[in-house]
Amino acid sequence: MGSYSSQLSKIEDLHEIIQETGFSKAHIGRLYGRYEELDKSNRGKLTREDFQRIGELAVNPLGDRIINAFFPDEKQSLDFRSFVRILACFRPTVKEKFADPNAPEPINSRSNKLRFAFQLYDQDKDGKISREELIQVLRMMLEAQVTEDQLESITDRTIQEADMDGDGAISFEEFRKSLENINLEHKMSIRFLQ
Amino acid sequence: MHNNNRNNRANANKKLKDEENKKQKQANNKSNKKAEKGNKKDKRKKGKSSSSSSDSSNSEDSLSEGELAKVLEEVEEKKKLVAILRTKAWRMKRKLVTLKESQAFIEKFEGALGKGKGRRFYAYKVMMTKKWIKFKRDFENFKTSCIPWEMKIKEIESHFGSSVASYFIFLRWLYGINLILFSLTFGLVVIPEVLMGLQYGSIPRKTVPRKEQPTAMDFSVLWEFGGYIKYSALFYGYYNNERMIGVFKYRLPLSYFMVGVGSFGYSLMVVIRTMTRNARESGVDGDDGDFNFSWKMFTSWDYLIGNPETADNKFASITTSFKESIVDEEENQKDENVHLRRFLIVLANFLIFCCLAGSGYLIFYVVKKSQKYSALETLTWYQKNEIDIVMALLGMFVPPLFETIATLENYHPRIALKWQLWRMFALFLGNLYTFLLALIDQVNAQLAEEESIKNKTLAMMNSYNSTNSTSERIPAIDPADFPRGPCWETGVGLEFTKLTVSDILVTYGSILVGDFLRALFVRFINYCWCWDLEYGFPSYTEFDISGNVLGLIFNQGMIWMGTFYSPGLIGINILRLLTSMYFQCWAVMCCNVPQSRVFKASGSNNFYMSLLLLILFLSLLPVVYTVMTFTPSFDCGPFSGKAKMFEVIMETIQYDFPAFIGELFGYASNPGLILPGILLMVLAIYYLNATSKTYEAANLELKKKMQMLRDEQKNRRNNKNTVNPMLQDLEDLLPNNANVSKLELVKDEKVIQERNKKGTNQVVVEKQPTVTNGVTKTNGKHGKEMALVPPPPRMVVTKPPNPRQASHLLGQPRSGTPGSGPRRPPPGQPRH
Repeated sequence: MGSYSSQLSKIEDLHEIIQETGFSKAHIGRLYGRYEELDKSNRGKLTREDFQRIGELAVNPLGDRIINAFFPDEKQSLDFRSFVRILACFRPTVKEKFADPNAPEPINSRSNKLRFAFQLYDQDKDGKISREELIQVLRMMLEAQVTEDQLESITDRTIQEADMDGDGAISFEEFRKSLENINLEHKMSIRFLQ
Repeated sequence: MHNNNRNNRANANKKLKDEENKKQKQANNKSNKKAEKGNKKDKRKKGKSSSSSSDSSNSEDSLSEGELAKVLEEVEEKKKLVAILRTKAWRMKRKLVTLKESQAFIEKFEGALGKGKGRRFYAYKVMMTKKWIKFKRDFENFKTSCIPWEMKIKEIESHFGSSVASYFIFLRWLYGINLILFSLTFGLVVIPEVLMGLQYGSIPRKTVPRKEQPTAMDFSVLWEFGGYIKYSALFYGYYNNERMIGVFKYRLPLSYFMVGVGSFGYSLMVVIRTMTRNARESGVDGDDGDFNFSWKMFTSWDYLIGNPETADNKFASITTSFKESIVDEEENQKDENVHLRRFLIVLANFLIFCCLAGSGYLIFYVVKKSQKYSALETLTWYQKNEIDIVMALLGMFVPPLFETIATLENYHPRIALKWQLWRMFALFLGNLYTFLLALIDQVNAQLAEEESIKNKTLAMMNSYNSTNSTSERIPAIDPADFPRGPCWETGVGLEFTKLTVSDILVTYGSILVGDFLRALFVRFINYCWCWDLEYGFPSYTEFDISGNVLGLIFNQGMIWMGTFYSPGLIGINILRLLTSMYFQCWAVMCCNVPQSRVFKASGSNNFYMSLLLLILFLSLLPVVYTVMTFTPSFDCGPFSGKAKMFEVIMETIQYDFPAFIGELFGYASNPGLILPGILLMVLAIYYLNATSKTYEAANLELKKKMQMLRDEQKNRRNNKNTVNPMLQDLEDLLPNNANVSKLELVKDEKVIQERNKKGTNQVVVEKQPTVTNGVTKTNGKHGKEMALVPPPPRMVVTKPPNPRQASHLLGQPRSGTPGSGPRRPPPGQPRH
């Protein structure tokens, strides 16, 4: 407890963060602890190298892209507030009984979660996952023994499945449609933030 | 209005508080809390809630200041709402719903704001729910980590695909069942007998006969389950027929019988229940094949993997799963010469039928021959073991032959596996039934022998009693010297046990030699060989799913058949499954290669289950047959002295139950009652079958409809670009005018005339009349927008109608702004 409040006192604009992200104080405290732990150079900022030290990201085929997602616009460092804002996307969604239909879409909504995933695949940010982008991902995800032909046929098949308007690429809408039946709220949630 | 004020005030408060908080953050903790305390007190007159803060750390933890304020606000609001709800001019339903929601909310959060006790209670509640959630999560994790061999199987799955893993999952499932059967048998039969029954050597059936005693401890004898093992609680003959044993008056014979029946009952129930559950599960997620590849592409990586080795496994498993899907796809899209294919299938089936018939005849021939041999006195080793050798050879060479023939059919590997399993099943069944027939012959011979011995013993007893009538004690013959019958039940149990053990040895031996040694040879001799052994001829073995599954299933059949006459058999089986889990896991990972055509196992193992069910039924038959028809041995086993084994039930009913239950049973066993009962069951089965068929058909129909709908949607979107959108929209909007609008597009001149005729037609009004075709098209988009989205009113008010030409120019670049169109006059009317 004491550690939380001491940590919390270090955080600037705590209340804005809470309002913006919907985290509770305890969560922010935890996240701050993690943030400090990641920050090896103790400069109060995270760099790409700090992320690359995380084992889970190092072995992840999409690790680099995930790290890139934390550094939008070619920025080289990340402060706590942006860190929390990005992680807020992964806050578990709770079914609220008294949800206000007029309220702005929460940051951890399904579609925001999807958008985060989508941008991992959409590297050139044109709002579409093109065939080349898919092949790139596949190459990263599969072992070397898969032939180029197979890669291409897998890609074509994927596009054929998801592509509704026949433009040979997967738009966000199509992406959402194809993942409609997947329990994303569960998969894209950090459980300790419950 | 009032609300607004309150909100403003609240906001102001919040801001104030925030500022103060910031300041306080700089100060130390203690003063911070104090200041907050004061701060809050003057802010909220009610002095509720957090003003008494810092009484419990958890409450502080769970609710921050901002949240608290918000909650307070809301609770107040809801309270007020409840108070004035009656006067609202809402519908009753809405009122009720609102009331319920508000009350629930107040109940939930008032505790958070209550004074002292209420708050603490609320904090406690929050803490407990959090703890509970955490506990549930931990428990879930614990449960997963408790599933035995889960990691091993996952590892295999990642390298060899789900089909190989399905074998190991099946093995694990069987192990679970056998554990329960084992605890039933040992807990209710073997252990009570050992603890409470008569000691070894007290009566003849519990003693090794004098003749066998010198060799009773030899390894070769024990290995064949002779000697001391034969006369132990592991076999039927050891049990005494005393109705009750020990101080608890444990009814051992009854329990023996009931455990035998119960084992079968339990197995049947479990198999059938698993089958239905599998069927249900596969029904649930069977229809989501639409986005198969997309899902694999986007969701297959496990983001929690942090270990490089696990990551390698995951790479392998993703690759495998993609390969599986590719094979499936290829199979789906295959189209070739249908006639050739049919011909090949027929040919293959014919060949396989010939093989089966041939092997059946061979077995029959060998059995006939061995019956002739039995008349002879001296037999060579070959003559003695001819049947076993022939069967082993058949089992070794026929399955690969089947596989070779099956390549003619060119089925999808999953279907091919099923066929292969059925064919081998037929072959194995032949083996099993020859074995059983031989066994029944042996039993019949022993029964005859027993009859003579029984007479002899009885005569001996009688003569002894008549001569020594003066002595009141029974003759002091040592139990080892007592003449005794062959005890056919123990013989049957012995046969099954031997068979099981030899089966284990053969399986393990073939893995060691066929897989391990071959792998060693290929791996190391490859350095000094003239061709590539690894990719050339011998290569490494693939894991033979069908053979292993069938081996397991038939082994289980043996266990089911043998356990009634040899309670110890199930213990052996437990050991076998346990070792085979580790041994085969090791062997697969160490010396097998993934199949060249990896394929996905069907979602459930229902096919294995149906084979198992069949075997269960087939193994039930001989046991029930022997129990119902043969007389139990007179001098061994729990049922000795009875005419039939099942009489133990009647005996219990007679002695241990009140009289009327006996009568009840008497009535119930009347054929007049049983026959209608059977009839009723048949009718019920027929009815249920019919209904399930109907449901199935309806289900299929619905699925088809859904698929069609989806395709249609896809097609429509795909075609959007090619077909003129205006046309479609018109059709959608006004189906009765469809013809008109079509004409409109095709032939301009006529259209205008027609329009003039139908001057009031709404669509025509909305459609800007045009001079040339090209312009129609550019305007088409415009028109569409207008038709779909009603123009916002301000446009209508502010924008004067444009001249026609200008409207095109305007409309082209920003087709999204509707409004000018609808106001335009219809064609033919004068423009201003």
